[in-house]
Amino acid sequence: MKLPASQVAVLETASANEAQTVEQLAEATDLPPETVTGAVFELADAELVSVEEATEESVSLTDEGATYVDGGLPEIRLYEAALDAGADEAAVEMGRVIGQSGLEGAAVDIALSNYARKGYGSIENGEITADPDADPDSDPEAAALSALSADESVDEDGVLDQLERRDLVDRSESTVRSVTLTGDGVTAMMEGVETAETVDRITPELLTSGEWEDVEFAEYNVEADAAEINGGKEHILRQTANRVKDTLVGMGFEEMEGPHADAEFWINDCLFMPQDHPARTHWDQFALENPSEIAELPEDLVERVRDAHLNGVGEDGEGYHSPWTEEVAKGIDLRGHTTSLSMRYLSGYAQGDLEPPERFFSVEKVYRNDTLDPTHLLEFFQIEGWVMADDLSVRDLMGTFTEFYEQFGITDLEFKPHYNPYTEPSFELFGTHPTTGELVEVGNSGMFREEVLRPLGVDCDVMAWGLSLERLLMLMYGFEDIRDVHGTLADLELLRNTEVIH
Amino acid sequence: MPVVDVDPEELRELTGHDEKDDEELKTDLFGLGLEFEGRTEEGEFQLEFAPDRLDRLSVEGIARSLRYQYGDDRGVYVPNTNDAEWTIEVDEDVPDERPYVTGAVIRGVDLDEEALESLIQLQEKLHATMGRKRAKGAIGIHDLAMLKGAPARKGEGNSIRYTGIEPDGDRFVPLDSNSEMTPADVLTDHPTGETYADLVGEYERYPAIYDDIGLFSFPPVINGKRTEVSTDSRELLVEMTGTDQWTVDRMLSIVCYALDARGATVETVTVEYPDRELVRPDLSTREKSVSHDRIEGLIGVDFDPEEVVDLFERSGLDAETAEGGVGSQSSDRRSEPADSPVYEVDVPSYRVDVLHPLDLVDDVGRAYGFNDLEPSYPDVSTVGGRHDRSQLEDAVRDLLVGLGFEDLLNFHMISETENFERMRIGPDDDAVGAADPATIREPYSEDYTMLRTWALPSLLMVLENNTHRSYPQDLAEIGLAAHVDDSENTGVAERRTVAGVLARHDASYEDAKARLQAVARNFDVDLETPPTDHPTFVDGRTAAVVIDGESVGVIGEVHPSVLVEHDLELPVAGFEFRMDALE
Repeated sequence: MKLPASQVAVLETASANEAQTVEQLAEATDLPPETVTGAVFELADAELVSVEEATEESVSLTDEGATYVDGGLPEIRLYEAALDAGADEAAVEMGRVIGQSGLEGAAVDIALSNYARKGYGSIENGEITADPDADPDSDPEAAALSALSADESVDEDGVLDQLERRDLVDRSESTVRSVTLTGDGVTAMMEGVETAETVDRITPELLTSGEWEDVEFAEYNVEADAAEINGGKEHILRQTANRVKDTLVGMGFEEMEGPHADAEFWINDCLFMPQDHPARTHWDQFALENPSEIAELPEDLVERVRDAHLNGVGEDGEGYHSPWTEEVAKGIDLRGHTTSLSMRYLSGYAQGDLEPPERFFSVEKVYRNDTLDPTHLLEFFQIEGWVMADDLSVRDLMGTFTEFYEQFGITDLEFKPHYNPYTEPSFELFGTHPTTGELVEVGNSGMFREEVLRPLGVDCDVMAWGLSLERLLMLMYGFEDIRDVHGTLADLELLRNTEVIH
Repeated sequence: MPVVDVDPEELRELTGHDEKDDEELKTDLFGLGLEFEGRTEEGEFQLEFAPDRLDRLSVEGIARSLRYQYGDDRGVYVPNTNDAEWTIEVDEDVPDERPYVTGAVIRGVDLDEEALESLIQLQEKLHATMGRKRAKGAIGIHDLAMLKGAPARKGEGNSIRYTGIEPDGDRFVPLDSNSEMTPADVLTDHPTGETYADLVGEYERYPAIYDDIGLFSFPPVINGKRTEVSTDSRELLVEMTGTDQWTVDRMLSIVCYALDARGATVETVTVEYPDRELVRPDLSTREKSVSHDRIEGLIGVDFDPEEVVDLFERSGLDAETAEGGVGSQSSDRRSEPADSPVYEVDVPSYRVDVLHPLDLVDDVGRAYGFNDLEPSYPDVSTVGGRHDRSQLEDAVRDLLVGLGFEDLLNFHMISETENFERMRIGPDDDAVGAADPATIREPYSEDYTMLRTWALPSLLMVLENNTHRSYPQDLAEIGLAAHVDDSENTGVAERRTVAGVLARHDASYEDAKARLQAVARNFDVDLETPPTDHPTFVDGRTAAVVIDGESVGVIGEVHPSVLVEHDLELPVAGFEFRMDALE
């Protein structure tokens, strides 16, 4: 049998007849007590030794306690000074006695507070008396201090309690382990136990020399916590965005891209939002001061959009009866929705004319002049998607979105008829929350109006929808305050510790 | 979204459905798209709805929609009107900015408290929506008994006069006041006048309406006290002025329909412009055509023509199949068959939301019940894919995360202070991050006044806000940065920027360089870092990031004054460069 050196030493020292404490074994083997304890546990697990545990109390003097062993307890010094001053016959003024006793500082209070308690006399109205029958030599507290200082044991619990309260002693309990060789241990010793070499680190030397074959690897405490590391992680909002992108690519959607700062023409006018629409005031959107105007808009498209606003589209169409100027259309805003990208793509301006069928999407940032609160940011991500085909029905719209939301655990989609200036019919989408089961709004959708499509040169159907990515994230992760996640107020601890959702 | 307060008791009375309890009413209203938001102190329903059906801004209009929903009414209803006795004469002096007027006379109205309240609410809600806060259209309602008509210029009857006067040209006692004021006084001394002063403040002449006694209305600001409407009023004059004839005429239709539902009689008014004459209100229907095929195609259901006509009628519209029944004159869609029957649909004048025949298809769908439709996945095939830029961005992000960076996502809007001053640079410096910023007009918050020109300021802010969190804090962001650039169509150059910081007790230039090298190696680009100066970084420990020979960024140890400015008590090394350099 090969065992680590410390275990061999313990086995050799332990006896089958006489229990030995860990301290005794440590002294005999010249090993640190903690090493012996470790070895004893290993040997006990292997049933080569048996261990009995007992609790032992140890009492030691504190620094203050030690000074009183030689100098005497303050109350006894006070008593002796009181006797000298004749306080056993008549009350003596206290200041004089204290001066004579030589007590100073905190010791005075200690003496006074224990004096009467222990029956050395009384203190009243600034005068002190001494009881002539008191006997300082039989003071149990003084006796106990002397005994402890002489390494003798003290059995009187009451006295020890009192000394502990006075901070003159420390009492502690410790476990004393007594070790005895078992039958197996005796057998092993008779068969012979050799020392195995233990190593801490696996080194290149160890491996190349072949020494590793003969060594024992020191065991680690594998249950202990290691130092924390954080590593890097993709931002959870990006993770969610990428999940959405993967899902949409899988459904045949192609990604769009375009400017964040764009002309109102692309953001609002192409969407058939009248120029006097309440949402087009700067109270709702971020207009730019510099630059304030787009350099150029496609002339023929501007004319068609203007015509749609003023006169409508088709024989029976009507316009808005609102003023329309190119000057307003040229103003630059931070886009309030990514539908501006859809307009750029549908018009052919982004990447040439499109032929149905097409599916496009984007998951990009939009800017709204909103009040900041736990669910609203000035910047957030919008999921935008649309399908272009010759003939699309409301049922196709419902089928597409049902499929999409199911990918995120949002089921039982409901379609509430709604109004948007740019779609008809329009629907607000409601779905069942994946964990709470509540009915929550998850998006807005519809078929683009002909007043949107015809000026863009699109002569088939296009259905579209939008949704805030943050809303999807909050539904999936259960966050309550979006500000912890997005922006410079982000809490690194939250980002580091958020559960990975896959 | 508009919110309308409606007394459920009034709804029961006006629909004739006493048996409906409040809960049933709420469900029926939800079916119309009117959401119950709560109750007023008086127990009225507060109903919120999308701002298309402005005819539902009154309890009378909502009751009308409910009666269609219940099947009590079908098809178009047009109130009878009596012939005009009153004329509104429009003067040459009318302000050019507000030339249009319309009106109606209402007789035999029974205005109890509720009816008067509903009328005032309808007026306010119409002002807020169609009227664009009175700028586009403003309503004035007067007690006709208090008016003394002047003899009409043409024919018999009475007239009032819409004109324009000098701001101090006349005096009258406005509502909620006891003293005579000029219009100019009203704008400065009357609370309502102050609210709407901006609407006419710039006008040379102020809009004014006169009867034979004198000035009685100062639209769009306030009416005179003399003609104030009360529960005792039995005959009303409704006038509307605005910047667009169509808009004020439609607002008038909605008001006339509501008063008709209260049992009043509408009497037309002659509006006499210098060059033309109108008879108002014009409650006639307008006709729109929509093909059977388009309805079936859009809703995705096969219908019998009778069924479609029935659905139209249940929506308060009249429809008949056009003679000949073929053609698709209303459509220029590529896939329209030529032989589909066409419906000619009569649309009542209060339906201001109907701009196109497709709006009628929505009515058919709602009447049929959109939620009864079975979803179906569209049978068209397309190939999906990611944009190149977004793929590159993901690849760079994956690499940085692999190098141990926490990926961050910050706002693109920032303040000048954060973007420039706290980083020790100015917009005109010759340094990475220094550029002419795209600025926001009249920003609300001093924290968000421009688009950031670089991303390192955002990362420093995150470090600043997380000094209580454990280190190391290695942060990276790939995001938008922008600046003004006249050569761009929008005037703004937008680009993706890659920024990283290492905040740790022993962070050094070398740590940042090691990571930058790893990025360059993985994207197979040639990286050089010639020394440079940059106020954000420590001299002698700063280099330009030169990728494939082009200077695209900066790397270095952040200057102690920037660190202290951000309350940081340990070194930070960082870099930032244009993402497109890795393409």
